[in-house]
Amino acid sequence: MRRALLMMGALLLWTPGCGEDAPGAPAAPPRAGGATTIDDRTSLAFAQPAPNLSPEGQALHRVGDGAFAAVFVPAPAPVNPGLGPVYNNTSCNGCHLRNGRGMPVMGPGPQRTQLLVRVSLPDGTPEHPNGAVPVPGFGFQVQDQANYGVRPEAAVTVEWVETQGRYADGTPYSLRTPRVSISPKDGASLPERMLTSLRLPPPVFGLGLLEAVDVSTLRALADPDDRNGDGISGRMNEVWDVAARALAPGRFGWKANSPHLTQQSAEAYVNDMGVTNPLFPEADGTHELSRDTLEAAVFYSQSLGVPARTALDDAEVKRGEALFQTLGCEQCHRESLETGAYPVAEMAHQRIHPYTDLLLHDLGPGLADGRPDGAATGAEWRTPALWGLGLTQTVLPYATYLHDGRALTLEEAILWHGGEAETAREGFRVLSAEDRAAVVEFLGSL
Amino acid sequence: MPRFSLPLRLMLAPVLVSGALTLGACNDEDCCSVPQDTVDAAIISTFADQVVVPTYQDLATSLTTLDSAARALQADPSQERLTAAKTAWFAARIPWEESESFLFGPVDSYGFDPALDSWPVNRTDLDAVLASNDPLTAEYVRNLQETQKGFHTVEYLLFGDGGTKQVGDFTTRQFEYLTAITLEMKTISTSLSDAWTKGFDGRPPYRDTLANAGQSGNTAYPSTQAAAQEMVGGIINILDEVANGKIADPYDAKDPNLVESQFAYNSLSDFSNNLDSVLHVYRGFGDTVATAQHSLRTLVGANSALDTRIISELDAAQDALARIPEPFRESIRDPASADEIEAAQAAIRKLQTTFESEVLPLVTR
Repeated sequence: MRRALLMMGALLLWTPGCGEDAPGAPAAPPRAGGATTIDDRTSLAFAQPAPNLSPEGQALHRVGDGAFAAVFVPAPAPVNPGLGPVYNNTSCNGCHLRNGRGMPVMGPGPQRTQLLVRVSLPDGTPEHPNGAVPVPGFGFQVQDQANYGVRPEAAVTVEWVETQGRYADGTPYSLRTPRVSISPKDGASLPERMLTSLRLPPPVFGLGLLEAVDVSTLRALADPDDRNGDGISGRMNEVWDVAARALAPGRFGWKANSPHLTQQSAEAYVNDMGVTNPLFPEADGTHELSRDTLEAAVFYSQSLGVPARTALDDAEVKRGEALFQTLGCEQCHRESLETGAYPVAEMAHQRIHPYTDLLLHDLGPGLADGRPDGAATGAEWRTPALWGLGLTQTVLPYATYLHDGRALTLEEAILWHGGEAETAREGFRVLSAEDRAAVVEFLGSL
Repeated sequence: MPRFSLPLRLMLAPVLVSGALTLGACNDEDCCSVPQDTVDAAIISTFADQVVVPTYQDLATSLTTLDSAARALQADPSQERLTAAKTAWFAARIPWEESESFLFGPVDSYGFDPALDSWPVNRTDLDAVLASNDPLTAEYVRNLQETQKGFHTVEYLLFGDGGTKQVGDFTTRQFEYLTAITLEMKTISTSLSDAWTKGFDGRPPYRDTLANAGQSGNTAYPSTQAAAQEMVGGIINILDEVANGKIADPYDAKDPNLVESQFAYNSLSDFSNNLDSVLHVYRGFGDTVATAQHSLRTLVGANSALDTRIISELDAAQDALARIPEPFRESIRDPASADEIEAAQAAIRKLQTTFESEVLPLVTR
């Protein structure tokens, strides 16, 4: 009590600045996205510009907003030509609904394919160092949609197989695993030992901040050989940078398989929508998407606001947060990172709270897709950011979790963790129902 | 930032919070209080029951009518029946545009929005399908791109380029295609309405999710404020979209190809119905009933200075839209219409600012 009174006295003498690091000051409440944070807990929370954008930034963001919503149609067309000939979906927002995640669906409309199948061969000659080996007739992704008169590569269906489990207190749960069936449209048989990996579209806000984290920061967090013996490695992927024509640290995508947002966006245009662009042009060097539009779309993904946490002083949330720490979740879902120098000044030098280390971790055989991607093994996944997680059902009712959407609830998502996260997962499994609820309550506050 | 050990942090937490409350004068401080349900839950349930649900029921009814009108036209083509089908299209467009200030929930999750309202029209593939003899089975239609279906494709088929289509211009195949896609729209709008009232695909009715905001276990709307912010956010979003997207994009580019509803010359009606959507959410009732005990308007205070201003700014925005000369797709390129177009944008932006700066704070307390 006396200590508290003393602290109060100190507080009253302290004139706070608005930074989080005023010397000797207590920590201000964390702002998820630093100066890019917005106070919005609605279905549009992932669709607001960062509040600190310059007038020029606001203008470019608006152009990017249009680019993100633009629905492509087959050429020739006066507006948005260039779709296909084969594709998965027709716009950025067709998969990233309200800039959030996609639904775990594939096939025809109205819920057009949002869940993608990446494919490769286990051996053969890759196109470039650390690259995957393409599958004849598919490349690296199955495009199951096509313009009129063109045959899609395959029909893809997914079935879910349930397995039963129990919490330590006896409460039963059921987890579902996807079973993918690919039927080539030309009647060909699939190559033997073809590797497949399902990918759910992830949310697109806050990406500029994650891009602005200096690579040296990530290297410092990495522990590829687990020298500290805590059972957690953390590795950086090394992937092919198309523009630089060299290997580069991977950061974006479920396996950190893309080096930066420009390539990530260009890959989405060419693979998901069949729209050629400056990074992935036609054979003759021309492209359907202008450089300006690509840059605007990239900037849009870099310059969205990050929603602030809610219920910060709710007792249940705090208890859940403490459990999140003691279970060890925070060892990979790192609460806090600093951004460094960055071309978009609004994202540079911020203290952010994304709950990720952006590193690859082995999550065990249960989640493994068995498909290496760059330097990532078939069991490794890049820690996804958890900021905004509590808004998932607001932005997209019935949304699901994990890389392939297999988890119907946050509890299921936790229960799927294995490998390096085995201890944390097991810690959660043996918690009381009240404590499990508190952890989920905390995740809901993000 | 100093990292306290856990017990110390927990011990300090109340102190830190009280410090923040005592001293926090930073503009960017987190709104870190526990969400209390400071917004009357009846405002949310009234919005769900008197605005969202009736609007979607109206949409389902009017798309059923459109499908019937298209079938009547196909069965016995006449200029009169073509006019009736066009009238049915205009009528169905109204509830859709009136729903655009609340495009959250099942309409997005299930892909109903793109299925009904994709744009631009994929004329390349549409012409190819019309030229083919492919049987237009339900499965075949389901596989067609959304840009070959929905409101704007029906519009293109009924009105034609330039809006001058006569009944004699139709081919048998066009009638066949038209009724195939009006049937799908009818089905989708029924599913959308059901998703709110009965539940769809084995899910509970979304009406309950929204109306039960703040109740335990509600992961979409953990507080009534969150739902009220959804309402106000949707209003702000559609006002922004009309002024700075639907009007600005074609006007700034002077490109009629960027105009929504360009075949039926219905764009200005669309915009006006979007403003009605705002009015409905604000007052807590749509076209079916004529009063609301609990609404954003009662929260603001009916007939208060702010309420009077909101209503007059809404009226001013409607008046300004009405002063833009028809057809909009021509006006955007006519220097003589520039003042009217820009005045309408300014009026809509003014209303948007009022909702942002005066109404939103009332539901974020």
